[in-house]
Amino acid sequence: MKLAFLPWLILFLPLLAAAWIMLFTRANRCRSAALSISAVVLGFVGTLTFVGANGFHPVQPEVSVTWLAVGGLDIAFGLRLDALSLLMMLVVTGVGGAIHIYSWGYMEEDRCFSRYFASLSLFTFSMLGVVLANNFLQMFIFWELVGVSSYLLIGFWYERASAADAAKKAFLTNRVGDFGFLLGILTFWGLAGSLNFEAIKEWMDNGIGFGSTDPIIVQSGLTLAGLLVFCGAMGKSAQFPLHVWLPDAMEGPTPVSALIHAATMVAAGVYMLSRTFFIYTPDALSVIAWVGGFTALLAAVVAVQQNDIKRILAYSTLSQLGYMVMAVGVYAPSAGMFHLVTHAFFKALLFLGAGSVIHALHHEQDIWRMGGLRRRMPVTFWTFMVGTLALAGVWPFSGFFSKDSILATAQHHSPALFVLGAAVAALTTFYMFRLVFVAFLGPERTSEASHAHESPWVMTWPLRLLATFSLIGGVLGIEGLLTGFYDPVGSEHPNGLAAQVFYPFAHAPVAASVGLASVAAGFLAAHWLYRNVAEDPLPARIGALSRWMRNKFYFDELYEATVIRLQDTAATVIDWFDRWLVAGAAVRGTAGVTRLVGQALRLVQTGSLQTYTFLFVLGVAIVLFAVLGR
Amino acid sequence: MNLALISHEILLLLLGVGVLLADLWLPAARKRSLGYVAAGGVGIILLVSLLGLLPGTVGADPTAHAFGRMFVLDDLALFFKRFFLIATLIVLLMTVEFADRVPAGIAEYYSLILFAASGMLFAASANDFVLLFVSLELITVTFYVLTGFARSRTESLEASVKYLIMGALSSAFLVYGIALVYGMTGAFNFQDLAAVDAPHLEDPIFLFGLLFVFVGLGFKIAAVPFQMWAPDVYQGAPTPTTAFLAVGSKAAGVVLLLRVLFTAVPAVAAEWAPVIAVVASLTMLYGNLCALPQTNLKRLLGYSSIAHAGYLLLGVASLTQSGQAAVLFYLGGYLFTVLAAFMVAAAVLRETGAEDIESLRGLYHRSPLLATGLTFSMVSLAGIPPLVGFFGKFLLIQAALAAAAAAPILYAAVGVAIVGVVVSLCYYFGVIRAIYWRTDSTGHPLTPSMTARLTVGACLAGIVILGIFPSGLWESARQAVATLSLN
Repeated sequence: MKLAFLPWLILFLPLLAAAWIMLFTRANRCRSAALSISAVVLGFVGTLTFVGANGFHPVQPEVSVTWLAVGGLDIAFGLRLDALSLLMMLVVTGVGGAIHIYSWGYMEEDRCFSRYFASLSLFTFSMLGVVLANNFLQMFIFWELVGVSSYLLIGFWYERASAADAAKKAFLTNRVGDFGFLLGILTFWGLAGSLNFEAIKEWMDNGIGFGSTDPIIVQSGLTLAGLLVFCGAMGKSAQFPLHVWLPDAMEGPTPVSALIHAATMVAAGVYMLSRTFFIYTPDALSVIAWVGGFTALLAAVVAVQQNDIKRILAYSTLSQLGYMVMAVGVYAPSAGMFHLVTHAFFKALLFLGAGSVIHALHHEQDIWRMGGLRRRMPVTFWTFMVGTLALAGVWPFSGFFSKDSILATAQHHSPALFVLGAAVAALTTFYMFRLVFVAFLGPERTSEASHAHESPWVMTWPLRLLATFSLIGGVLGIEGLLTGFYDPVGSEHPNGLAAQVFYPFAHAPVAASVGLASVAAGFLAAHWLYRNVAEDPLPARIGALSRWMRNKFYFDELYEATVIRLQDTAATVIDWFDRWLVAGAAVRGTAGVTRLVGQALRLVQTGSLQTYTFLFVLGVAIVLFAVLGR
Repeated sequence: MNLALISHEILLLLLGVGVLLADLWLPAARKRSLGYVAAGGVGIILLVSLLGLLPGTVGADPTAHAFGRMFVLDDLALFFKRFFLIATLIVLLMTVEFADRVPAGIAEYYSLILFAASGMLFAASANDFVLLFVSLELITVTFYVLTGFARSRTESLEASVKYLIMGALSSAFLVYGIALVYGMTGAFNFQDLAAVDAPHLEDPIFLFGLLFVFVGLGFKIAAVPFQMWAPDVYQGAPTPTTAFLAVGSKAAGVVLLLRVLFTAVPAVAAEWAPVIAVVASLTMLYGNLCALPQTNLKRLLGYSSIAHAGYLLLGVASLTQSGQAAVLFYLGGYLFTVLAAFMVAAAVLRETGAEDIESLRGLYHRSPLLATGLTFSMVSLAGIPPLVGFFGKFLLIQAALAAAAAAPILYAAVGVAIVGVVVSLCYYFGVIRAIYWRTDSTGHPLTPSMTARLTVGACLAGIVILGIFPSGLWESARQAVATLSLN
């Protein structure tokens, strides 16, 4: 393998940048931003170079170094380099790079500019670590680092109570999922005796050492272990019932929302599922598929009645993540990853577009206080339109291809999920065009909206770049690469451009036409309801349902009343126990006794030489007696 | 006889004599910078040794003997020689920093450090009771002078007298023990002793003599019950002396202990392992408990060094290769950790003259680098990952547990070690609390000299890098102990 050092460099450059910024360039805004941006851009260039030299399928897909070998304990640090991880690295560094650059403009006036870029670099490092990990343990460590850095970024404006709360909520909800993940990892360690993905795969294939020969026990044990691992993905990728943190995480700066809650962090769960696809039994997969499908539907319904531009996008992210998880559940991790990549393009684009709007309107986020922005911000509008069309799944935008490949497999495996997917597609188009009609078209509703200006070039160029990829992302050959990765023999995917553009219609005409019909239905409904209206007509039409949707089906309140109430009660009891028994009796008691013994022993140390010599000789006598006096 | 084998020692002695002679001609104002010359010389010796340019440093003959098998140059000796050279280098730089508190004769101070270092280098190669005694005396006698060097301070003189008398007492035990062993076996040489060690297992006079030898060595490493001198001497001696005592003198005791136990009397070592485990436990307990109420930083480090002697003995008591390798690894990390602490102590306390932990108040605001150096040192001493102190303790405890199936008393010793670690957190973090949380400092900002900054930076790098990449040191430690007859 050529250039084997490059992946190490790509992984550690952002960490170096983060450390360097925090230690040395905190006062120099320009240098901090430049360091952070160049780390990620170099990562992108490096990945391209590596792929150029070795292709997407390097001869030797793993590089590892032994970090420590003591006795039987052998800890290796390894990188996995195959089509899956290389593609994901391109997404993380490419989309991440665009967002880094955009941040320079967006965060220009912030007081803690350098801290922002340091956290961003730390996040990039952690995310690359998850992508490159070749074993569960390493992945878990970076997985937690992703959690920490997202905590830092969501709570970036920690002076605001809502941001601090959102950061805590995100971190704690993720911890719930990670607890299951860790249990799953430990189960696999106990069963397979190794955490290396390749070794676990081999163990699964051989089927030896399951601890039991009864196939039912083996299958249910493996299903349980797989679902425990899936818990981790449920936390990071915000699947029902752990989805509650993601909309609140919009409290962070908008580029952070784009980076973490659209393009990369939430994708970690889907990536992990795709990486470990071989461990899931059919039962586990059907649970995964239904959790994903339900999340997709639930989030899409909630998104219809949100008024905050970032929250609409947040629920849309939830919904699309549900799609990806569903794809993994219907035996199509390649389709899920494909959608992950295209979604990274257009969702980052949409968030950055929203950020551009928010920036122009001095942090106004309510779409009913916007309007008419098409004329004031043409670049933002047109790129946002591209993102919308791609998200809706309009042919030939990238979203169409990835959504179609999910629908096509769903049709094949589970008709019920296929219908659900089509309904979500219609809802997606509906709420996105509601957003476009209200925020960008129609009359200006406030004076801020009528005085908005286009954002600076450092913000619009990343938009243009991402818009280009949102348009052409479906025909770059990503799908062929992924299907080839999962099924090297049986995949036959067209290579020519024209063939790729029309491939869905030739391959699965039903799925493609149903998908397009859903888009048309959603668009017509949005046009009928929201073209040139002054206020939302839906609450009057559907009444109580609208209130439920606006309040996210009261999940927060439900958790407040059950989980949090229960936890608070338990915490009160444990607090009493800790305060009086552990801290009071045990710790203070032990510490007091220890300190007393220390004080007493100190008395021996009188400083008098005669005492010392006496004790020395006494010591010799005692040792002599102990050894020889038996 | 092969003089080439003792090239390390010859070069070091020449350097010491050179410094002493240069002192005659240099004007008084320039004498302080002689320390840089000495440090540079040690650095060059270290470098040529590491590059394998010195005779015998690349494995032509792994067990090359000189002086009628008194002197051996194997991997263990080389490991410790390099260890002592690094320690000497840092201590010399610390001395330059400290020089304005030594009233007169700073050049002598430098050359005495070099002579003590050459004693340590000889000790690393001792293969015979005679060389053991001579090198140990070279170290100890030099340290009597180094301890009392701040002649104007009564604490320094008091420490020196105490060290002299206690040291003389322990030397008497040591030489009496050697005489008894020689009387019973007729052998000084370790290999000769190993041949007759098993038949003498039941001979009380032989064992009596050996026990006295261990009393002498136990005194050097400050193990209970021979630890009484340590706190007073650590507190009273000039800071560079204390640092050298804590690192160099202790390591010399350890290497001699390993040699005697595992090359001269392996059968007795196997018999006495439980005793060593008990001594280790008592030492850990005593050091950690006594450190709790301390308010003087150097005295606290004195007790902490007793506790660390206990951890080292825990590794020795495991009687395995990996246990001894862990001892060497632990010492390697301890070198950087303790020298960082003393370097900061020398730089900060010079300002105030006081040595109370209280005088570290608000150090973070006065000098972030020194504060970071001392913090990392304390955290590493407490054994918190990912610093080197954690790995040292991890390896020691792992080795002890692996050997515990054969000697159940090691389970108890490991339990004591863990309790000791918990207790030690309390006093180490007391220092950190003073640095960061006590902001009522009246001190002005502190700008340490370039030497101090570089030294603290190098120690910090050692603490962090050896913690994150422990493999290199671990491998060379394993290679070094391969010469001991262990399983």
